[in-house]
This record gives sequence, C-alpha cells and structure tokens, in this order.
Amino acid sequence: MRLLAALVAFFVTGPAWAGCPLDLGRGAGLVIFSDHYMIAFRPDPLRIEVGEPFALVFNVCTKSGTAGELVAVDAQMPEHKHAMNYHPSIVAKGDGRFRAEGLVFHMAGHWEISIDVRAGEEIERLTHDFYIK
Amino acid sequence: MRRALLTTALLAALAAPAAAQATLDWSEAEIRLVGQHGPWPPPPARDPSNRVSATPVGIVLGEHLFSDARLSGDGLVSCATCHQEGRDWSDGRALGKGRADLDRRTPSLWNVGYSHWFGWSGAADSLWAHTIKPILDAREMAGSSARVARLLREDKELACGYERAFGRKPDGDDEQMLVNAAKALAAFQATLVSPRTRFDDFRDALMAGDREAAARYGQSEQRGLKLFIGEANCNACHFGPRFTNGEFGDIGIGFFVRPGEVDAGRLGGIAALADSPFNLLGRYNDDASGANARRTRHVRRLHSNFGEFRVPGLRQVGRSAAYMHNGSLATVEDVVRHYSEVSPDRLHSDGTPLVRALGLSAGQSSDLVAFLRSLDAAPPPRPSPPPLCP
Ligand code: HEC
Ligand code: HEC
Repeated sequence: MRLLAALVAFFVTGPAWAGCPLDLGRGAGLVIFSDHYMIAFRPDPLRIEVGEPFALVFNVCTKSGTAGELVAVDAQMPEHKHAMNYHPSIVAKGDGRFRAEGLVFHMAGHWEISIDVRAGEEIERLTHDFYIK
Repeated sequence: MRRALLTTALLAALAAPAAAQATLDWSEAEIRLVGQHGPWPPPPARDPSNRVSATPVGIVLGEHLFSDARLSGDGLVSCATCHQEGRDWSDGRALGKGRADLDRRTPSLWNVGYSHWFGWSGAADSLWAHTIKPILDAREMAGSSARVARLLREDKELACGYERAFGRKPDGDDEQMLVNAAKALAAFQATLVSPRTRFDDFRDALMAGDREAAARYGQSEQRGLKLFIGEANCNACHFGPRFTNGEFGDIGIGFFVRPGEVDAGRLGGIAALADSPFNLLGRYNDDASGANARRTRHVRRLHSNFGEFRVPGLRQVGRSAAYMHNGSLATVEDVVRHYSEVSPDRLHSDGTPLVRALGLSAGQSSDLVAFLRSLDAAPPPRPSPPPLCP
C-alpha cells in the first residue's frame, strides 16, 4: 500500500524526476523521497530473513538533477533502542547506483533503516520501516 | 465379545472429546511462530571456508583426532575429555576444567555446525578457527602446532587419513598442519546433529493441521510453548530451528569472574576475533569468493557488547546442565526462575527491555519447564568410527 502510494506520488510529480531510473532489476523495489531526493531501493536477496546477512541496492536521484551520494546506511529497532551488530559498507556503482553490504536484522520485529544522502554539503536523512516476521 | 465391543465403544466415546480438547487453540499467527522453530533436522551443515567440510574422509579423520590426547602438551587431554559423548558433548560441570580451571562452562557441541559465531563471546568466526583455541590454550590442551604436525607426520594411521582427506602427504608447514587438523575436527563436529524431539512432532502436526497427532503433545508443554513464543517473548533471541539467533545478549547473569575481574563477553570476543590470524579474513579461508566472511568484515563493536554472551541454542538443553556462560544456574527450573524474577538493576536497556522479570505463577513456570524439556531426546547410540585406512 505504502509502495503504491509512493509510486502514485512519483508519477504525479513525474516530470521533475523523469531522468531517474526506478528499475533496480528483479522488478520489485521500494521508493522513498523528500523535497530534494528520490531513492529507489531493494534488499538483496529480496526476502530478509532474521539473522541472515543481506545487502541493499540503491538508486539515488535528486530533484535538481545533480549527482546524489549515498553516505551511510544504518538500522535500529526503535522500540528496544537496539542498533545492528554490523556496520554496513557502501560501494558506489556509478550513475547514482549504490550497494550497501553487510546488514543483519538479528531479531524479528520493527526495524527502521536510515539512509543518509547528500548532493553538496548538507546530509539529509531519509528513513524507512521494515517489519520482519 | 459383546462386552469387549461395548467397552471399546465406551472408550472411544470417552477418548474422542478428550482428544479433541487436547490441543489448545492455536491462532494462525501462533502457528507461524511455532513453525519457525523447524523443520528438524536441517540439511547437513556445509562450511565453504573448510575444504574438508562434509567430506567423509575429513569427517573420519576428525572423529579420530577428537579423542586423541596426543594433541595435548602432556598427552592426557583430548577434546573428548571436556566434550563427552555420554554427556551430550559437554562435561556436566559448572565450569570447564582441563590442565587448569576455566572461567566458562563447556558448551554442548550439538548442532554446532550451524552457528556463525563460536564460543560464549564469539571470538571465532568458523568452527575450525575455534577448534584451534583449545589445542593451544595452556589451560585446556597446551599443545602446539609443532606437536600437532609431528603427530600427523609420524603416526602412520593418521598420516594415511590425512593424505586421504587433503589429497597430499602431511608435509605442509606446522601452522598449515594445525589448521588442517582443526578443519578435519570441524568436519566431524558439524555432523553432531541432535535428534528429533516431541516438540518437532507437534510442530509438524500443527503445521499440517493434524489435530490428532498434535494432541500427543502434553497440555502443559503446549501452554509452555505458547508462553515461549508469546507473553514471555523468549523467541526474540531463542529464534529459529536451533532456538538461537546466533547473536549475543545480556540477560542479567553476572560477569564477575572473581572479585575485581570481569568477563567482558562479546566485547572481548570481537577484539580476539580481530587479532586472530585464523579469522575468515586471513589466508586460511578456503572460500575464494569471500562471501562467507561478510559477518566478520562488517561486525561492529558497540558499548552494549560489554557483558553480552552468545544466545545458546535450546535443543537438548535439559540434558546438559549446568547453565549460562559461567555455569551459575544448576537446573532448568533455576533458569526459568531467573527469567521470572530477574532484577531490573541487572539489566541495562534504554528502550522496552527484551528481558524483564516475568513474574510467572507456579503453573506457568512448570509449563515453561515442561516445554523446554520437550526439546530433549535421547540420541541413538553411535557406532565407533571406521578405521582411517582400512
Ligand atoms: C578443558 C576442557 C575443554 C577441552 C579440552 C576442549 N574444550 Fe571445547 N570448550 C570448552 C569450553 C570451556 C568452551 C567455552 C569456551 C569459550 O566460550 O571461550 C568450549 C567451547 C568449544 C566450542 C564452541 C562451541 C559453541 O557452541 O560455540 C567448540 C566448537 C569446541 N569447544 C570444540 C572443542 C574441540 C574440537 C576440542 C579439541 C581440540 C575442544 N573443544 C577441547 C572446554 C574444552
Ligand atoms: C534478550 C535475548 C534473550 C531472551 C529474550 C531470552 N533469552 Fe534465554 N538466553 C539468552 C542469553 C544471551 C543466554 C546466555 C546468557 C549467559 O550465559 O550469560 C540465555 C540462556 C538461556 C538458557 C540457558 C541455556 C544454556 O545452555 O546455558 C535457557 C534455558 C534460556 N535462556 C531460556 C530462555 C527462556 C525460557 C526465555 C523466555 C522466558 C528466554 N531464554 C529469553 C538470551 C535471551
């Protein structure tokens, strides 16, 4: 539902983002955006399993069309104030594509991932909630 | 004849409603949570960092080495001294004892091949890397790479078994020989898979919607299981088919080893891991892709790691007392009492705590104990290992 809303919003605001490829391969993906950024991403593998390492692949676009950079990715369980026991590393793949490797959700439940991006000096944080069963 | 028939009918009539009542009501959500603790057994463990993992020749060499006291400095201590088959691969003691007393309890080796961190503080990232530690540790076996290498070269049987396992004579340098001995030992340990239990039969029946088979699991066990996955939230950490998420936690067990000296738990484990020449980032990892080193590469040190210990699996738990990293609790009943009464002063948590005094009633406590005991089963007798070079 959330994804659908995001997609609808995307197409409504379409023209400004027109150059931003949402396709991350394998079809499915999530989209989040702010005033300045639109970020498409998906887990790899697609299904996140408790305790199993996974990666996130990103496509970072900016409204102004300048290059966006993925600076950091992290996650925590807000209810328990638990951080991840692992520190993801980020590899730039060119053309606004990034891969964050080494995430592990070691418990089932609510995880909030934070995605720090910048296109210039200032870093902006976007977040997304995962509910792992 | 007629009387017998009548009795049977009567019994059937009596049995039917009883059987129908014997399974508690399980919601869809609960059934899904129960299902996560299986299926059992899992497929055989394979470790890509270990070239002889899951190979029959590696396993048989490892089984011979496991009870060979010649690996130790004084020729008196083997792995089997502390990890005894008849004691579920532990030693029945509160704290381990080799050539000297240890500060931690000897864990059972059941299902150890499925872990990703080893030892109570996760100081090793592979089963073979962990295996090197007791061989060299002065308090455990006080052996050396030179000693292990000499044994493999000079004992004709072992040399032959080595050549079969590794495809070459035992002619590497001493450290390589130590690593390979550990890899064979690891291949053997990874075959120690605990048997199916009453819980597994219930789980499978519940998943299959077979109420009759499910009803063979006692009501008290079922209530205990409901607590485990529900109100008591035990499955937050004791997750999955082995009842552990393989990570670390602090449940308020003391960490003083003796006055003034602490066991830093996971914090020390990460430091030891980083220092080890045998970790998966080093040259002895047989997995060229490096994919299996992801956890090692990304593990992060957190303040909260101080005093955290690895979440133990719970299969066979009732059979291998004592409990906790320091053996401080003697029985399963004591463990349940701990979770029921643990003082909040012992737990540091900023958010909603995962462990809190549950304040269980006597009935709930005995249900939880009954459930934990349903994770035990007597293993079938093991045949003695086949000869190395028949
Ligand atoms: C003196 C007793 C003793 C001897 C001998 C011994 N161990 Fe252990 N073992 C222990 C103790 C105590 C621990 C817990 C160590 C820790 O957490 O630091 C342990 C932990 C382990 C673990 C980790 C299990 C887990 O669940 O993570 C493995 C694997 C293991 N031992 C295998 C071996 C092998 C193989 C040998 C022989 C080469 C061996 N041990 C010899 C006492 C012993
Ligand atoms: C926050 C994670 C967490 C939760 C929740 C949790 N446990 Fe544990 N459990 C652990 C850790 C960590 C240990 C080992 C602690 C130590 O050695 O200091 C442990 C140890 C145990 C042991 C002893 C096993 C052994 O081999 O020593 C049992 C039994 C057990 N827990 C059962 C339970 C039950 C029952 C519940 C629910 C009432 C529960 N646990 C909830 C993390 C957890």
